[in-house]
Amino acid sequence: MRNHKINHHPKAESLADFAAGRVDEASAVVVATHLTLCDGCKIAVGDFEAIGGAVLETVAPVEMNNNALREFWNRADDDPITVQPISMRPSNDFDLAITQPLQRYLKGGIDDVNWRPVAPGLSQHVLDADGYRNGVLRLFKIMPGTQIPAHSHKDSEFTLILRGSYEDELGSFGPGDFADLDHDDTHTPVASGDSPCICLIAANAPLHFKSMIGKAIQPFIGL
Amino acid sequence: MLGALALNVETSPNTAKLSPLEEMNQCLSRVASCRDKHAFETLYSFFGPRIKGFLLSAGVAADQAEDLAQETMLKVWRKAELFDPDKSSASTWIFTIARNLRIDALRRAAKPKLDPNEPALLPSEEPQADKLVERQDRDKILHEAFHALPENQLDVVRLHFLEDEPHSVIARRLDLPLGTVKSRLRLAFERIRKELGDFDA
Repeated sequence: MRNHKINHHPKAESLADFAAGRVDEASAVVVATHLTLCDGCKIAVGDFEAIGGAVLETVAPVEMNNNALREFWNRADDDPITVQPISMRPSNDFDLAITQPLQRYLKGGIDDVNWRPVAPGLSQHVLDADGYRNGVLRLFKIMPGTQIPAHSHKDSEFTLILRGSYEDELGSFGPGDFADLDHDDTHTPVASGDSPCICLIAANAPLHFKSMIGKAIQPFIGL
Repeated sequence: MLGALALNVETSPNTAKLSPLEEMNQCLSRVASCRDKHAFETLYSFFGPRIKGFLLSAGVAADQAEDLAQETMLKVWRKAELFDPDKSSASTWIFTIARNLRIDALRRAAKPKLDPNEPALLPSEEPQADKLVERQDRDKILHEAFHALPENQLDVVRLHFLEDEPHSVIARRLDLPLGTVKSRLRLAFERIRKELGDFDA
């Protein structure tokens, strides 16, 4: 699993959404976790932020309140300056469950998760149900050989593989790979390999299952 | 009258030749190296009202926009040492700080019971400590490419960063199909990033 090469990345538009601060909280966690491993995507986000800086320069200025500058210095002088050291990047050992963005939502680590079964071979754990902009962040654990019934997404779905792997119509996904799906994509992931596939998923709209079996598990997934 | 007076404060002779981008970078570097209050006030008078305008267009209420603009500038003052002019430009760094404060305000509204000391997951606002030593050159190229965009692409890129609404709402407001807004954005980003060709080669 170590040094698995990342083959699937967020779309440029998704990175641009992240850089502009447009995504929901759950999607931001999934993108940020991918960025801890992927320098290429990190650079692209930096580029989009630079465009954000250029946009900021073009904003029509709106006058600050009277005395704003004096108030500013009052506040600034009240508080001594403390410069925090630049945080260290997490080690690139592909144990994504311990990367810093995810740690805040997964305090006990991935081995302490209280999995809730939703269908044979599939369990989930909701990490955050009330993020801003209605994002829901959850973990899925798919046992080897288990297939998730075909579904599409009303809005978008970001999936990051933390452990194990799955295969679907779009290819083979391993640790660090990012599936960036929108409402046009239908997929049928099957966990491959011999250990469970654990994915981090941000979905801000219900999944749409195609089959009766899928529709039957929908209420249990609570999507 | 006050407004007219403020407009008379023109750039001083020694900064006249610099573009606003370079002037702001120099000011921020001076704040970083020697806590130059005068340089900071130049930054404040340029960015404060623009951050406020940015937040207002993102749908933030006027009081909160003023407050978040102040907080953004407070962070710029306190954390100036983290700014590395070789790795970022002032406007990029200040944009990321304002964006993060806006996200954090959204997050607090969504989770009122949250421990205020719980750190938020926010996109990094630290100038990137990676191997990209040419970051500032990249920023300059990206700036120029942004300004060279055709008008209709420029508009959607601006709205992408300024508006809080989904692209479908932006499309309705511009009286365009959603697909057109998305394709203009994609074309604009491709065009901008193409200018970086030499760096990515």
